[in-house]
Amino acid sequence: MARKKRFRLAAYTKSFRLRLYLIFTVTIALLTGAFTFFYVITEINAYKSTLEREGRLLATILAQNARLPLFAENREALSVLAQGTARYPSVHSVVISNIEGRVVAEARRGKEQPDNVIGMEVAITSPGPVLSPESVLLGHLPDDKERVIGKVLLRLDTSGARERIVTLVTAALAIGTLFWILVSLLSYQVLKRVTASFNMLMGGIEEIGSGKLSSRVDLDGDDELGRAANAINAMAASLELRELENQALQDELLKAMKLEVQEEKKRVMARLIQTNKMTSLGLLLSSMAHEINNPNASIRFSGHMIGKMWVDAVPLLDGVWQEEGEFYLGGVPFQTARLALAENAAKIVENSERIARVVQGLRDYGVGGGTHLRQKLEINNAVSAALSVLACQMKRDVQLKTSLGTDIPVVNGSQQQIEQVLINLILNAMQACAGGRGEVTLTTRYDKGVSEVVVEVQDDGAGISAETMERLFEPFFSTKLERGGSGLGLYISQYIVAEHGGRLQLASTPGKGTLARVVLPAGVASVGNMVPAEDVQHPADPLHEVR
Amino acid sequence: MQVLRLLVMLAVVFLPPVTALAYDVLVLQSLHEKGYNEAINGFKREFHGSLRNIILSDYAEADVTRLTREEHPRLIVAVGDRALELAQKQSNTPVLYMMALNPRPRRMTTGVGMLLDPSRYVSVFDNLKAARVGVVYDPAKSGQYVRRALSHAGRYNIELVMREVRAAKETPAMLESLQGKVDAIWMLPDPTAVSPASTEAYFLFSQRERVPVVTFADVYLSMGGAVALTIDRFDIGRQLGEMAQSILNGTPVEEIPPASPRRVVTKSNEGVVRQLRQNGGAGR
Repeated sequence: MARKKRFRLAAYTKSFRLRLYLIFTVTIALLTGAFTFFYVITEINAYKSTLEREGRLLATILAQNARLPLFAENREALSVLAQGTARYPSVHSVVISNIEGRVVAEARRGKEQPDNVIGMEVAITSPGPVLSPESVLLGHLPDDKERVIGKVLLRLDTSGARERIVTLVTAALAIGTLFWILVSLLSYQVLKRVTASFNMLMGGIEEIGSGKLSSRVDLDGDDELGRAANAINAMAASLELRELENQALQDELLKAMKLEVQEEKKRVMARLIQTNKMTSLGLLLSSMAHEINNPNASIRFSGHMIGKMWVDAVPLLDGVWQEEGEFYLGGVPFQTARLALAENAAKIVENSERIARVVQGLRDYGVGGGTHLRQKLEINNAVSAALSVLACQMKRDVQLKTSLGTDIPVVNGSQQQIEQVLINLILNAMQACAGGRGEVTLTTRYDKGVSEVVVEVQDDGAGISAETMERLFEPFFSTKLERGGSGLGLYISQYIVAEHGGRLQLASTPGKGTLARVVLPAGVASVGNMVPAEDVQHPADPLHEVR
Repeated sequence: MQVLRLLVMLAVVFLPPVTALAYDVLVLQSLHEKGYNEAINGFKREFHGSLRNIILSDYAEADVTRLTREEHPRLIVAVGDRALELAQKQSNTPVLYMMALNPRPRRMTTGVGMLLDPSRYVSVFDNLKAARVGVVYDPAKSGQYVRRALSHAGRYNIELVMREVRAAKETPAMLESLQGKVDAIWMLPDPTAVSPASTEAYFLFSQRERVPVVTFADVYLSMGGAVALTIDRFDIGRQLGEMAQSILNGTPVEEIPPASPRRVVTKSNEGVVRQLRQNGGAGR
């Protein structure tokens, strides 16, 4: 409560009206005080001046009247004159003395107080213009000389002046205070009326400033405040319009965001599903690898054993053939079986090893290897490994042509990840072939100018539309979701390539095919690790020719 | 200045007798005075003989006896009281005086005084219908004149209420004593009765008692005087010139009595007279 009161008091003390009122009242008080002061001073001086003038006048009149009695040394007449003058309230005493200074008449009234008395002395003179009879008869003209024959000394009582000053000061203070109060009240009323418009304007501004843009300053008039109110109202209207527009835009944005979120939600769900599928696939691949590896190891061992035993058995069977002549093994003449059995045993081992590599590749793909960006990989090996993995996916109607460059430096990175990228790109190229027929060309080369290793996968398939091209690298975006596409291939591929410091570029012409290009920076120690030229038929791809 | 005066005095004292300087009239003038000059001019207007003019104030001391003995003027004209006094120190040459306020003529002396004949004033009082006229005077200076005035006043049935003063300061009191007893005041040219300090007492009395003051000079009219009878100094000179001419023509001095000024200039303050009449003062 006290805090609220303090706040109100602080706001009141800072109000324009109060400050103006204080200025007015203080100014009026100062002016009134100054006026009162000067009035009192002037009145006191005027009173003193009047007193002195009155005293001088009385003394002069007395001097005039006393002229003849003093000349005639008529003390009685002078005493009467002195007493008559002493009857005046302001006269304390009257002394008439002759030219020798001897007092010839005196009158006093009451006891004299030295502090309240001022003296007034006037000379008594005989008339100057009057001449002696002889001079007059001789025609002398009167002169202006006056002859002093005595003096009149009046002592004036100024005790009335003090009382008058007190009365005057009291009256002036009372009138001044009354005047100040009246003018202050009047000025307050005037200021109240004058600042009412100002306060209304301020209230409107504060209300608008607080965010209530629909409020208006209700102030009429064509003066400065009226014009200011109109300007503020116009500004508030403009702000309100902008606010409405912003609100509308915000609503639209909110709606769009909601739609976007819903679609995103759908996409995320699809991704989650796909991821779940991929996880399951990985598990399946691991399981498959385990189940295949065991019998495959047995087969490879058996192959080895068959080969070794055949090598031991051949000299014995050669001796039998030499001794006994031709005989048949399994319906096949010994000489034919002799070569075929050795060859088949070798094929058993070779194909078993191939099965082991394929299974290992599938297992690595499914489980996912660690990041081996510090490893040095040879791009052509990665291509071969990818083709090994894809050997079973190869379609007879799709021709895969490889053109592996020579003197390609090693690349720093994970071979398994680069293989994954290449598998994605080759699969996309093969799937793009319309009707399952087409040609996929895989090229590797080294761009010495920029020290980059380039792998290109070119197909002559359906190509990619412009709309699809814009979204190709979005995660889980796929045109083949219904055919098992995850929508992660290009997204992951681009991520992997970017992780290797390279870039994945796609260029496509609808109806003519697509070119996918992987550009990787060559490794630092690539000079010593140049891969020799290799342009051979990939063992995993017996169907495709090597150019 | 003292040295200059001494030289002049020696020059006068040891003035050699020169017959070629013989003249008819020796004019002794008391001092340089405008009024004296006016009178001398009037004298010269009527007297056509030769004359020599000596202004006594120019000399420390003038030996008139020696002058008359050596220069043999037929007549001495004294202008002013001092000149008359010096002129009367010799007894061989007749003396005529003028512009002397208090002449005391001796043998072979006559002249024209400065005081108007009292009858002139009495006739004025008669015209003013003032039956009682207050007069303040010093018997030593104006006693004779007042006695003459009394005789004239008696003829007109005018009572002169006399107040004697022997000092100037007595005048106001004497005037006060006339309160309610007079119809007019006669201001005499008496140096004791009329002093600069007491002059206004006359006019205050006149104002208070509403009685006119008849005075001897028009200068008093501006102070409150009602009527002034003034002398004509030029005419006094002419009047004395006629006397001188007559004596030089053979008329004995003793046959020519002292005379009063023959011409009178009467002036009045109409404002004062009118007020006094309105208040019932003058013309009672």
